Parts: sequence; structure tokens; C-alpha cells
Amino acid sequence: MKISQKIITNLKSGGADFFLSVPCKLLANMITILENDKDIYYSAIPREEEGMGICAGAYLGNKLPCIMMQNTGIGNSVNSIVSLLQLYQMPVVFLISYRGTPGEPVGAQGGMASVTEDILNTLRIPMLHCNTEQDLDKISTFTNHAKVIENPVAVLCNFNLMKDD
Amino acid sequence: MNRFELLNLLQNIIQKELVVCNIGLPSQELYKINDRPNYFYMLGSMGLASSIGLGLSLAVNKNVISIDGDGSVLMNMNTLATIGNRAPSNYTLLILDNGSYGSTGDQKTFTNERTSLKDVAIGAGCKNVIECSGEETDQNLQKALADKNNSYVIISKIKSGNVPIKPIPLNAVTIRDRFRKEIGLVSYL
Repeated sequence: MKISQKIITNLKSGGADFFLSVPCKLLANMITILENDKDIYYSAIPREEEGMGICAGAYLGNKLPCIMMQNTGIGNSVNSIVSLLQLYQMPVVFLISYRGTPGEPVGAQGGMASVTEDILNTLRIPMLHCNTEQDLDKISTFTNHAKVIENPVAVLCNFNLMKDD
Repeated sequence: MNRFELLNLLQNIIQKELVVCNIGLPSQELYKINDRPNYFYMLGSMGLASSIGLGLSLAVNKNVISIDGDGSVLMNMNTLATIGNRAPSNYTLLILDNGSYGSTGDQKTFTNERTSLKDVAIGAGCKNVIECSGEETDQNLQKALADKNNSYVIISKIKSGNVPIKPIPLNAVTIRDRFRKEIGLVSYL
């Protein structure tokens, strides 16, 4: 719970005030924290791509949105990231549980893991890698960075960082 | 009544509202009829007009209308469940159901066959789902906007067909900024 709380605290101090999630076991504690947080908007949603649309609308209404998802969700969302968020220059923080990184027990997650960073690089999305608890301190500045550059950014939380939280 | 005629009919009702309009011909026709800064024209991301409007309605206190199409709703049907469970009372989804993919050459959609978007929306949990003719759409939309306690999904059954039209000449960031200015968020324009 300590890691999850630190992530949420840093996202909020960076300005994020509108949260969506598509579930992942590694995000479960964060979801519980958000469900009980009265200061921000939070909802679960069925699919990441629609989440990009909801985030776009929330941004138009002056929110700084964060969508929490597995890295598989990036694959579900490529067109909406390019043709909506980047086309209109809309800041959104992608908080990604990076499945398929070392420690991952499910072999099938390795496929999307092996292409996730290539996709994000191709989309020119700035990445923050979180491998240790100290890395989490950078999330606040990185969240604000999305607002400054008016574009999406991605925070990637590795499996081993999250697994025992 | 086709889409262009219906958008004309609705002008008096929507011209002061925050409108998120579907990509392609719906936005181009709306632009041609009466371009306004409170219209957010989609230039990409087919399927997401409903979702963008939902996000906006959760962030502001004003009425928000998503003008969507049957083909686009079919592409993003999961968002009807999100709308059914989360839409605030200031949200209205207006689906112009002409049974065809108008922007790509009027190929038929499944609403021409066995699919009922009314039944899908009700099954997804949406409240106040109204299916009506094009001619009845203005009165139903007025009712939805006047009701401060409920969100609505209106499915307007219209004929297919489009008017010859050019792409919207505005760039995306211009659309974004003048729309946000209408909400009071941009001071430099």
C-alpha cells in the first residue's frame, strides 16, 4: 500500500485531479485509494480507448486527467492517442502497470512488454521509468510536465516495484 | 429527413450549448450550417464523440451534448455502459441513426439489420433512452436539456444521405482553444 499511496500522492501534487482505470492486479491498491478519495474524480471504465476520449473531454473542462492501465492498454489506444490527444495537444498522464517486466509470472505478458516502449517511442511520448521507490518522487514533476507540454506522458511502473506493495 | 436537415432543425436549440460533434460529415455539415466556437469538431478518433462529451460533462456544470452517429456508437459500444453508470444530469447523447457510414460512402451499418441501439443503450444501463423520428428530435432534445436531474440518450432515426462538403479548415488546436474559451478557460484569444 505504501508504494501505491506514494504514486497517488505524487500524481495529485503534480496536478492530476481526474482519474480513470482499467483494472490490473498491480493497480488494485491504487484503485482502492482512489475509490475513497473525495478530493478527486475517479471511475473505473471498461476499455482504455474510450478512456482517452473521456480524458480529452475532462481536459477541455479544465481537469488534468490520469488514466491507469496495463501496458496492454496502450495497444488498445494508439489511434485515440495520436488523432485526439496529440492532434489537439491535450495533457493526460498514463499511469502504466508494466506487465511482462522481470518478476512477471505470466509468460504471455512478455509480448506486449517487448513492444511497449517501441510504441511509446514511436508516438514520441515522454516516459518515466519507475523501478525503485525513489523513482516515485519524480512523478509529481512529470505529471506537471504533461500540462506544460500539453501532451500525454507515460509513467511505467515495473512489476517488481509493485508486486509486494 | 436526413442528417443535414436535422442539424438545421436543431440549430436554435444547440447554438448556445457545448456540443461535441462526431468526426467527418456530421462535423462538416454542422460547420457549414453555422460554425460556432462552442462546437468541438472531431477531426480524428472515430467512435469517441460520446466519450469526449461524457468526460466534459463530468468536468463542467453546463449542459453538454454529444452528437454521434450509429456507426461510431457501434465502434465504441462499451462507452454506453460507462454512460449508463456514470453520466451526470447535464449530459445528453444524441445519436443520429441513419443506418449508414455516411462519411465513407453510405455503406450500411448493423442498425439496418438486427441491431437496435435503443435496446443496447437500455441494456447498458442508460436511463431516459428515447428513440424518435428526425421530426420529433427537437422537442425531445429540448426536454433533455431542460431536465436538470437526468441524463438522456436520444436516438434519432433519420434517412441516410449527405450534402457535398469540404473538410473543416480549422486546425485542431484552434478548435480546442476557442472551445475552451467558451468555457472560460482561455484568456489570450
